[in-house]
Amino acid sequence: MRAEELKGHLDAMLLAALEGGPRHGYAVIEGLRQSTGGRLDLPTGTIYPALRRLEQAGLITGSWSVVGGRRRREYRLTAAGTRALSGRRAAWLDFSATVSAALEGRPWPSPA
Amino acid sequence: MAEPRLIGSYLAVLAAELPAPIVEELADGLTETHRSYLRQGLAPDAAAESAVAEFGEPQAIVAEFARVNPARHAARRLLVIGPVVGACWTVALVTSRAGSWPVPLPARILTGVALITIIGLLAAAALSTRYRLAARAGVAGCIGIATLDAVLITGAAFTDASMTWVMVAAMMASTARIAFAAWSLVPALSR
Repeated sequence: MRAEELKGHLDAMLLAALEGGPRHGYAVIEGLRQSTGGRLDLPTGTIYPALRRLEQAGLITGSWSVVGGRRRREYRLTAAGTRALSGRRAAWLDFSATVSAALEGRPWPSPA
Repeated sequence: MAEPRLIGSYLAVLAAELPAPIVEELADGLTETHRSYLRQGLAPDAAAESAVAEFGEPQAIVAEFARVNPARHAARRLLVIGPVVGACWTVALVTSRAGSWPVPLPARILTGVALITIIGLLAAAALSTRYRLAARAGVAGCIGIATLDAVLITGAAFTDASMTWVMVAAMMASTARIAFAAWSLVPALSR
């Protein structure tokens, strides 16, 4: 899955990657890779500006630490980020269920 | 462990365009990516090539950071509210017959040139894909527009004897813009 196909969804995926607790940039990328079974094909350098954008929006917060002599920036979800993730997740599940129903020709809502 | 030359030169390209804290964060990520390839059994140089390829073109990363630059956002907002404040001043100066004020021609020309320069700086900050250029132009534009507003307010206060409500509205619009420019400078200068 390429970067262009992810436009509009990357922010929610980054928030989801931070749902389990604080992570630094590389760990976020690894988390996304693992949760998607390695199907993401992103230039990973572009994840970092996306994290800054989320930080500026108040959805995550970043802090510095020193690991192995290198400075490392770690991010965690804010309360607003947690709310945003819930909203985006619900919207995505509704959207994907609707499109899936239309593409597969089954009635909506589908019987449980 | 020595850093491969390829990673060093890649980070040097980023360091030429981005602030040190951002480069430090990218260096940490790139080092971790390199180590990941080493753990997979690649030779150091091959691991460096793979890590750099995975990270993407440095110019693309710089352009993405330029898009989230606080100075760029401030410049865009100032360009949007600029015509509103400008319209307030146009109406105020026309209704106050500012053409007859005792303002020397060089001062009028200087004000016009300053305004055009500030608009140019803000436009450069709003559109540039180069982080440092956008940051410097944005900060200069914010300071410039706040200074120009202060000059306009002071000039009108000392020159306009009638002080109509339209002039007061224009002065308030400029005061609000000064406050916004100052508020925008805080995150722009902290990067």
